[in-house]
Amino acid sequence: MSDMTQPMPHEPRSAMRVTWDVWSAMTLREFIARTTADRMAWFWMIFEPLATIGIMIFLRTYIRGSRHIAGAEFIPWLIVGLMGFYIFKACMTQPMGAIDANKGLFTYRQIAPIDPVLVRCWVEGILRSFIFLLFILIASLFKVDMTAYHAVGVLLDWLSLWALGSGLGVLFSVVAGLVPEAGRIIKMLSFPLLILSGVIFPVTYFPHQAQEYMLYNPILHGLESMRMNYFQYYQSIQGIDMTYLWYWALTSMALGLMMHIHFAPRLKMR
Amino acid sequence: MIEIRNLYKRYHGPFGGDWVLKDINLTFPSNVSVGLIGRNGAGKSTLLRLIGGMDFPDRGVINRQARVSWPIGLAGGFKGSMTGRQNVKFVARIHGVRRDLHKLIERVQDFAEIGKSFDEPVSTYSSGMRSRLAFGLSLAFDFDVYLSDEATAVGDRAFKQKAKDAFNERVNSASLIMVSHGEGILKDLCQAGVLLEKGHATWFDDINDAIEHYHNTSGKK
Repeated sequence: MSDMTQPMPHEPRSAMRVTWDVWSAMTLREFIARTTADRMAWFWMIFEPLATIGIMIFLRTYIRGSRHIAGAEFIPWLIVGLMGFYIFKACMTQPMGAIDANKGLFTYRQIAPIDPVLVRCWVEGILRSFIFLLFILIASLFKVDMTAYHAVGVLLDWLSLWALGSGLGVLFSVVAGLVPEAGRIIKMLSFPLLILSGVIFPVTYFPHQAQEYMLYNPILHGLESMRMNYFQYYQSIQGIDMTYLWYWALTSMALGLMMHIHFAPRLKMR
Repeated sequence: MIEIRNLYKRYHGPFGGDWVLKDINLTFPSNVSVGLIGRNGAGKSTLLRLIGGMDFPDRGVINRQARVSWPIGLAGGFKGSMTGRQNVKFVARIHGVRRDLHKLIERVQDFAEIGKSFDEPVSTYSSGMRSRLAFGLSLAFDFDVYLSDEATAVGDRAFKQKAKDAFNERVNSASLIMVSHGEGILKDLCQAGVLLEKGHATWFDDINDAIEHYHNTSGKK
């Protein structure tokens, strides 16, 4: 046959090129899977945080009475905290299922277990960032002032929370891959973390002694720093330090990547 | 050429433990198609997965001096919720195809001949359609060695003929390592054979000898 001209590149690709090809193909695939999984995929992605915000506003207005936050409006304050928490949580929990969900793909030796994990962190981050922007837009339509006081600072804090979630996500993807029970426990922890990170109740409401212990939680640092950058007069607690968050992010990422290298054959085989 | 030296493999886990493959030494020459035969559980698929780089040996080395396909089988490799076209595009992309993507898709479509189903989710396919797509997809790439794990078993007559023709066409440039219990297709497509028995492998230059030996050792004719 004369039309046997082969479309496949003949010279071997470099390792970097293979990885790049895999990542770009998987990113496209993941976006399609996330947004068209069912007809309501998009709707839920937006409605879920919207409903949470609605419930929180209701609770705080009618049950707890006061909606007072020192130096910030309640609704923008809640949106910023919740969105920051969501990007962290999505990047931490979604990669745990990534290896299992893409098991069929290990047929192709180009794909390593780390690839679906990193791609999910990336895709989740993009989707959550988009939703955050959408919420700022929606809030503005409802005449809620959502302009950031120090936008660059907010952006950096946002990226830090993304990095923290991804670092833990990479680490937990190995842990959950080796010990499936661990995955369930980590998912269960996300609700207590919501409270302990001061997403719904301001951290300033907690007694001083509790605050000292709460500062061990790196998410709290990220969220409070983002709120301080967002609202000019926002009062938070002493000791918010983004370096601490980055220690967590980089340590967990490094440990996670090392474990991925070491356990790659076992993760593939499971 | 694919060289296997002192290869050992066992599966770890609560139920695993025994060696599936013990001290395998084989050399697959270029342009010789080889059939892997043996009883169920003899380690045929395991060996194929190791050659394909899908799995890692516990000891020993596999030296691949050729472009080797992924093991073309019935399970895995496709995402059920995505259409045939989306799956083909994905596999093409991870293999580095960019500009000629459309040409490749056309070739897969031509070989698979599954009509409109190409744009329907793979989960709706019959096993025959899946194997047509899987085979068509791998043949669209220019591999030196194609690995087939029972992928031809569920195909109909026309498909088997087509697969045979495709390999005869590229007999000088490519070879096949296949696992199959269909002796007809093994004799049609392969020249040499490897018999796997109790974790050991024996090479036969002629596939007919291998099949005969297999019949003798497996007891009844």
